[in-house]
Amino acid sequence: MFRYLRCLPIVPLLISTACGGDSTAADGSAVALLTSGPVSDAGWHAGAYEGLQMIGDSLGVHISHEQTRTPADFDNAFISYAESGYGLIFGHGFEYQDAASRAGEAYPGVTFVVSSGSRPSANVVPIIFGLHEASYLAGMAAGAITESGIVGMVGGVEIPSAKGTFIAFEAGVKAMREDATVLETFIGSWDNASAAKEAAAAQLRQGADALIHNVDAASFGFFQAVREAREGGRTAWAFGMNRDQNDVAPDVIAGSAVINIPQIFLQTARAWRDGTLEGPLYTGLATGAVDFVPNPEQPRVIPPMALVQIEEARMLIIEEKIEVPRIDFVEPAAGDPPSA
Amino acid sequence: MSNPPGFARFRADLRPVLGAATALVATTAIAATLLALGGHSPGAAFGALVRGAFGSWHNFVSVTLVQATPLLLTGLAVALAFRARVWNIGAEGQLHAGALAGVAVAVSLPLGSPFLVLPATLLAAAAAGALWAAVPAAMKTRMGVGEVITTLLMNFVALFLAQFLVQGPLRESRGALPQTDAIPAAAQLPVLIPGSRLHLGFLIGILIAVALWLYLARTPGGFRIRAVGASPRAAEVSGRFRTGPVIWRAFLASGAIAGLAGWIQISGITHRMYENLSPGWGYTAIAVALLARLHPLAAVLTAIVFGALSAGGAAMQREAGVPDAWVRGIEALVILAVLAVDRGLQAFSDKTAAGATSRRAETGTAAGRV
Repeated sequence: MFRYLRCLPIVPLLISTACGGDSTAADGSAVALLTSGPVSDAGWHAGAYEGLQMIGDSLGVHISHEQTRTPADFDNAFISYAESGYGLIFGHGFEYQDAASRAGEAYPGVTFVVSSGSRPSANVVPIIFGLHEASYLAGMAAGAITESGIVGMVGGVEIPSAKGTFIAFEAGVKAMREDATVLETFIGSWDNASAAKEAAAAQLRQGADALIHNVDAASFGFFQAVREAREGGRTAWAFGMNRDQNDVAPDVIAGSAVINIPQIFLQTARAWRDGTLEGPLYTGLATGAVDFVPNPEQPRVIPPMALVQIEEARMLIIEEKIEVPRIDFVEPAAGDPPSA
Repeated sequence: MSNPPGFARFRADLRPVLGAATALVATTAIAATLLALGGHSPGAAFGALVRGAFGSWHNFVSVTLVQATPLLLTGLAVALAFRARVWNIGAEGQLHAGALAGVAVAVSLPLGSPFLVLPATLLAAAAAGALWAAVPAAMKTRMGVGEVITTLLMNFVALFLAQFLVQGPLRESRGALPQTDAIPAAAQLPVLIPGSRLHLGFLIGILIAVALWLYLARTPGGFRIRAVGASPRAAEVSGRFRTGPVIWRAFLASGAIAGLAGWIQISGITHRMYENLSPGWGYTAIAVALLARLHPLAAVLTAIVFGALSAGGAAMQREAGVPDAWVRGIEALVILAVLAVDRGLQAFSDKTAAGATSRRAETGTAAGRV
């Protein structure tokens, strides 16, 4: 039996290597970020990480990031940060809501921000991104570009925030071209690039020639499908989502529906420092936090006439004269108690 | 177990200790070099690793041991199967099957009392895991299809089934997010140590480890499993028993334990089923089992080592700013180094040790062939 104790020496040996560590002695001013995907996705997670870095640079506070692997990690990550003296912790995605609510109760002095969250409380602040407004403008561009009258949408997992952008996109397409057909596919994953590529290719085969995605890191496959269709002699354009992706695939992207996540994060952190942060936060075209950005590398793709119409629609949305269809998923503060 | 006498025994027991130390030093050196090349401070990174895993009562009990629990259960599942020379690479799939079955029973059957719900859900999870293992078992015993392929492929079936179910039929009742409804309080495993997140599942894992050890070491059934594992051909031609049922039993028991791992994780920690329930526990379990030389009690220790690695890895991100991809690389490096040195020393001792024959007979099933 004794020989199995061979595993034990690992423990003290590991501890003896611990001497060089410097623990972050935070005083409540430090800011942390949790993402459930890689910050190299050139989209949703990358934007959050940029925001965290901007907070560190602009406010001069200590910052830290953890990429969580499974939902079981969420609670521990929040607790670890709160215990280490972090005062503001971002959970970047709806999936953090339950754990943030639990941590919010346990650590009343710490502020938890949940991107696309749904359950505000005293120190838990959901940010609702009005990306649907930008997505509507992208839809108008797609409606203007399409020759076949068939437009495609490739989504990740069918969740309210993703579905909401597609409903708005479809409305934008129809505003420009009433008879357009809109195809929709959800691949059931945020990082399966080959599934995204297959889904886009299938829509292209059905005649779609203007396609938008909302698949996070899997978007590389989506853009590749459009690129290959063009190499095969087709005319087809892609639209970026979440972050300004015009530089990710400048050869195939007509424009991007953008959330300026870094700016929103910085504003949120400033408001938190000044003690004025209250949730839920709504951010739309009016605040400049979301926008539709045509690809400067492809200046002639979207007809000038359409650009004028898009500009008009932007103003009308800000003046609340156009109501973009949306999915509201914020729950009342008292609703649906967290599971544990 | 028979022991070589006195000094020889001491030397024999010292060797694995030296092995672990060598592995650790080698890994540390390689990982430190890589970290330095990547612009991270190795000292800060390793400090964070150790503090994250062992730095406080909370870190050890609520993080390391909690992370070790699914690794222990899947590790036991793999160890049992491997003892019978059944190469079950499918613990990941069996884990998901068990998780789905447990959740389905918990959210659909209106059983009020924990004394009804917990046994029912645990039973359902074990049955589903066993069922998932039964397919490769049937293909192996009836058609001679290698189980390495079939158990591996069954993993993908389970993962996609889980994805489909949480996005479709088992989606939460308000219909918003791809997750099941929260399980009722009665279906949640009680906390083992008050004030911590450590749940009864860890104790269940230890009890199963002890039971498996007694079964393998002290019962005719356990002996048959070891005999088949040592040499299926010899076991068959001995004519004392048929190997088919033994292989079936190893498959089913292994699947059942892995199935329990999935449901216990939900019942004890997450309280909901999600798509990415497991970060690959069913695969890490193979390393847990091999490092434990397929011994159930040793698997408790190796599972804790791997749980600590996981807990420390997260702290490495938080405190030292090492990206997750690097952390995963370093974790893999540690696993490789430990296994390589362990195997290398085993081969060395097989060749040179004076009491080789008796020792090999003793550790028989595991040594020298995996």
